Amino acid sequence: MSTDRFETISRAGKVLQQIGLELAFVDAVKENGADGINELVRQLAEALGDRAPGPIADAVAAARRWIDQRVAVDNTLSGVTIARLGEWHPWIDAALTSWEHDLPCPPIPEDWSSPQGAPPADTGPEAPPIAAAAPTKVGDPQPAPASQLPEQTVEVLPADADAEMLQIFCAEAQDLLQDIEQGVLVLEVNPTDSPSLDSLFRAFHTFKGNVGVMKLLVLQQLAHELESMLDAARRGKYRLVSASITVILAGADILKRFVAELANQIAGVNTGRTVDLPIPQLIRDVHALLDGAVPSPGAATSPAPKAKTDAAPPAPAPIAPAAPPAVPSSDTVAAIEAGPRQGATVTVVEPQAPASPAPVVAKAPPASPAAAPVIGSGIVRVDTLKLDSLIDLVGELVIAQSMVVQTPELKAITSAHLSRSLGQLRSITSDLQRTAMSLRMVPIRSTFQKMSRLVRDLALQQGKEIVLELEGEETELDRNIVEELNDPLVHMIRNSADHGIEVPAARVAAGKPSAGTITLRAFHQGGFIVIQIEDNGRGLSPAKIRAKAIERGIIRADDNLDERETFDLIFAAGFSTAEKVTDLSGRGVGMDVVRRNIEKMRGKIEIDSVEGRGTTFTLYVPLTLAIIEGLLVGVGDQRYVIPTLSVRESFRPLPGMVTQVQGRGEVVSVRGRLTPILRLGRHLNTPHTATDPVEGIIVVVEAGQDSRCLLVDQLIGKQEVVIKNLGDMFRHQTEFAGAAILGDGRVGLILDINALVKLKSRSNGEAA
Amino acid sequence: MPPSAPQPPSPHHGQPDAQPGKYLTFTLSGESYGIPVLKVREIIRLCPITPVANMPEHVKGVINLRGKVIPLVDLRAKFCLPISPDTDRNCIVVTQIAAAGGGTRLYGVIVDGVEEVANFTADDIEPTPDFGGTVDSMFITGMAKSGSGVKTLIDLDKISAVDGTIAIQALGIPSHQAS
Repeated sequence: MSTDRFETISRAGKVLQQIGLELAFVDAVKENGADGINELVRQLAEALGDRAPGPIADAVAAARRWIDQRVAVDNTLSGVTIARLGEWHPWIDAALTSWEHDLPCPPIPEDWSSPQGAPPADTGPEAPPIAAAAPTKVGDPQPAPASQLPEQTVEVLPADADAEMLQIFCAEAQDLLQDIEQGVLVLEVNPTDSPSLDSLFRAFHTFKGNVGVMKLLVLQQLAHELESMLDAARRGKYRLVSASITVILAGADILKRFVAELANQIAGVNTGRTVDLPIPQLIRDVHALLDGAVPSPGAATSPAPKAKTDAAPPAPAPIAPAAPPAVPSSDTVAAIEAGPRQGATVTVVEPQAPASPAPVVAKAPPASPAAAPVIGSGIVRVDTLKLDSLIDLVGELVIAQSMVVQTPELKAITSAHLSRSLGQLRSITSDLQRTAMSLRMVPIRSTFQKMSRLVRDLALQQGKEIVLELEGEETELDRNIVEELNDPLVHMIRNSADHGIEVPAARVAAGKPSAGTITLRAFHQGGFIVIQIEDNGRGLSPAKIRAKAIERGIIRADDNLDERETFDLIFAAGFSTAEKVTDLSGRGVGMDVVRRNIEKMRGKIEIDSVEGRGTTFTLYVPLTLAIIEGLLVGVGDQRYVIPTLSVRESFRPLPGMVTQVQGRGEVVSVRGRLTPILRLGRHLNTPHTATDPVEGIIVVVEAGQDSRCLLVDQLIGKQEVVIKNLGDMFRHQTEFAGAAILGDGRVGLILDINALVKLKSRSNGEAA
Repeated sequence: MPPSAPQPPSPHHGQPDAQPGKYLTFTLSGESYGIPVLKVREIIRLCPITPVANMPEHVKGVINLRGKVIPLVDLRAKFCLPISPDTDRNCIVVTQIAAAGGGTRLYGVIVDGVEEVANFTADDIEPTPDFGGTVDSMFITGMAKSGSGVKTLIDLDKISAVDGTIAIQALGIPSHQAS
C-alpha cells in the first residue's frame, strides 16, 4: 500500500513538474493555450486516481473545472485562470509533499472548492498581466451579470514602460488606425474587396504585434479577435456583413481611444488614469458573428464609446471611494500608478488615484476621445531619403561656410563686426550639422533587447543558466549601423552562449557561479562606438585554437604566433573550435562573416580572453556610416584620406630604417617587425612624389591581422569627412573606398585600406 | 530618346533612333555633336579635377558639383580624338544618364565648347550612314542637318556602357567615310 502511494506521488509529482513548466510559458492570448495544461491536469487526475486524500482531489477537480470553463468559451486561458493555476500549482506541490510524509494536507483555499469560485465565464478573455491578478481577489463571489457585460477598466501606461518606445508606438498606432478606418470604409461598400481586407488584416496584425511588445495584453486580445475575423473573411470562410463592419469600427474606436489616452498620458496629462473600454462585449460580438449569429441589435452598436453612460453597473463599485478593495469585479485590472516604479505590485484603484470617481466616468465622457491633441514632443515620420538629402545639404553648407570664411579677400578685411558675424555663422552651421546628424541616430536599445530573448532561448535549449546584462543601451548610433550590427551581434551572442558559457555542472566544478553572465555594453570612445560582448565562460584556449588551425591548414605547425594573433585565427574562414556542431553555431561559418560585416561598415573587432575566465569581443564601429574621421595625407600634388581607425601610427623614417629586399620590395622595421612598404605615389601614379623614403612619412595601417606601411609625402591633418559613393563608373577600381569633399571644396579620395593591405599577399608574398 | 536597348540597333537603314526635339550641340576637336537637351542638367566651367588613379584615359577623375561627387568623362579621349589644350571655351556639360546598376547618375562631360540649343525636326534628322567596319556607330542615333553643317547625335547612355575607347575619328574626317 505504502509503495503504491509513493509511486502515485512520484508519478503525480512528475506531471506536476510538467504543469509547472507549461504554466511558466503559457501565453494568455495564445490560441489553444489551454490544450497543454488541460491534458496535463487530466493526467494528474489519472495519476492520483482515487487514492488521493480529499483536499488534493478537490483541488485537482477545481483546476479541471476552471480550465474546462475557459476552454468552453474560446479555448484560451485567461490571465485570471493562469494566475489561479499559478497559485494552485505550489499548493498541490505542498499537498503532495505532506501526503508523502503522512502529514495533514494544507487547508484548501475556500474559494477553490465552491463552484462559484471559478472565474466568471462571461468576462471574456480579459488577460491582465499575470502578476496583476490579485490572488485573493480573483475569487469574487459575485458573478457579473451575464446579460450586460462590464466595461473593462484598463490601465493605460504599463508600469515599466519606456516613454520613448511608447511614443513611437503611439505614432505607429495612429497611422495604423488611419489605415484601418480607410479600409473599413471601402469594405462598407464592397465587403469582399480583397486588397482592403488584406490591408485591414495586416494593420490589425501589426497592431497586435505592437501592443504585444508594449505588454498591453488586453488590447492585444482585442486586436487578435478582430484580426481573426478579418483573416476568416480574407480566406473566404466568413462573409462580412454590416454588423461585422460595425464591430470592426467599434474595435478600432476602442483602440483609438486607448491610443489617444496613452498619448495624453505620455504627455503628462492625467497620468495614471484608467480608461473603461467595452472590450469584453466587443469580443463576444466578434465571437457571435463568427459563429454565424447576428448579435442582438444593440449589442454591436452599443459598446461604441457612447455606451459609456449606461454600461457597467459593476464598474462603479471598484472606483467608488467607499468600496472595499476586494470588491472589484474580477476583470477589473487594477490601475497602476504610472509614475513611480511599482514594478508588478498591484494596487486596486484607490480613492486618491487620479481615476475619475465612478459617477464622473459614467456621465462625462473623459476628455480623451480620439482627437485629443498631443501636447509636448511628438514624432514625425520622415522618409529616410529626405533625411539623407538634408544631411548632404547641411554637409555642403558647412563646406561652403568654411570656404567663405577662408576666402583671402575676406581675410584681408579687418572688421570686428565681420569676424563676429563669421564666428556666429560658423557656430550655427556646426550646430545645424550636429542636429542634422542626430536625426539619423537611434539608441541601440532595441537591438540589445532582442538579444535578451535570444539568450533566454539559447539557455533553455542548451540547459545552461545564462544571465544577460545590458549596459549603455541608450548609446545612440546611426540607424544603418544599428541595422548592420544586428547579425554580427546575434552571431557573437550565440557563440558566447554556445561555446563560451559552460553547463552549470562544469561551472560549479570550476568554482564559478552556476549561472554564466554575458554582458553586452555600448559606449563612446574616441569618436567611435564600442560594443563589447563579454562572457565569464571558459575563455579561448590558445593551444586548442592553434591545434585546430594547424589541422585545418590555416597555419603551419612551425608558425610562431603571439596570443593575439592566435585569437585572431578564429576569424579565419572555415575555423570552428566547437567540439560538436550544434544548430546554433559551430558550423565553421560565422566569425569570419562577423568580421567581414564589421569591416564593411569600417569598424574593427578585437578579442580579449583569459582561459577559464571568459572572453571579451570588442567591436569598434563608426558613429555613422556617413562620416568618418580621416587622416589627410599629401602625395605629390594629390591629397588622400586614410580612415583613422585603420591607422596604427605614423613616423618619419630615419636613414637606414628602410631595407631593400631583393625582388620583394622595401620593408621597414616597425617596433621590431618588418613591415612591407607601399609607395603610395608610385602605386597611384601620382606625379611629383618624394623618391627617398627619408623625405616622406610612413603611415602604418592595418586591416585585420595584416599591416602595411604607406609612404606618403606629408601629413596634412585630421578631418571628419562625409563619405560619398564614387559611383558605378569606378566600380572596378579597388584602391578607393569613396570620395569626400575637402575643406577647400575639392574632392579627396578615401583610400580602401583593406584592399591596399591585402595587396601585399599578391605582390610580395611572405615579406611579413 | 528611346531607351537603350540591350542589343545594338541597326542604324544603317530605316528610321533614325534620334527623336525630333531640342538638342544641345557642342564641339569636340572641331566637330559638332548633339545630345538631347533633356539629358543635360547644367553646364559649368572647368573646375579642379581630382584624378582617380588607374582608370582609363577618358575618365578624367571626379569633381565636386555642389557637394555631389560626379565622375568626369573626356569624350575626346573616349573617341580617340586629338585633345587640344584647355581654353576658356572648354566647359563641363553635366548630364544625367542611365547608370549600369539601374537608375540615373550625373556625369560630367568635358567638351571643347558649347554651341547652342537647336531644334531638330524629323526632317532634319537622318539615319546614321554606314561608316564601314572600323567605326562603331551603335551609340550614334542619327545625323542632324543644321544650316551648312552636320551634327552627330549621340546616345550618352550607350557610351557610358562601353568601358573602353570608341573609334569615332572616321566621323571627324569625312574623307575616311566608306562609300
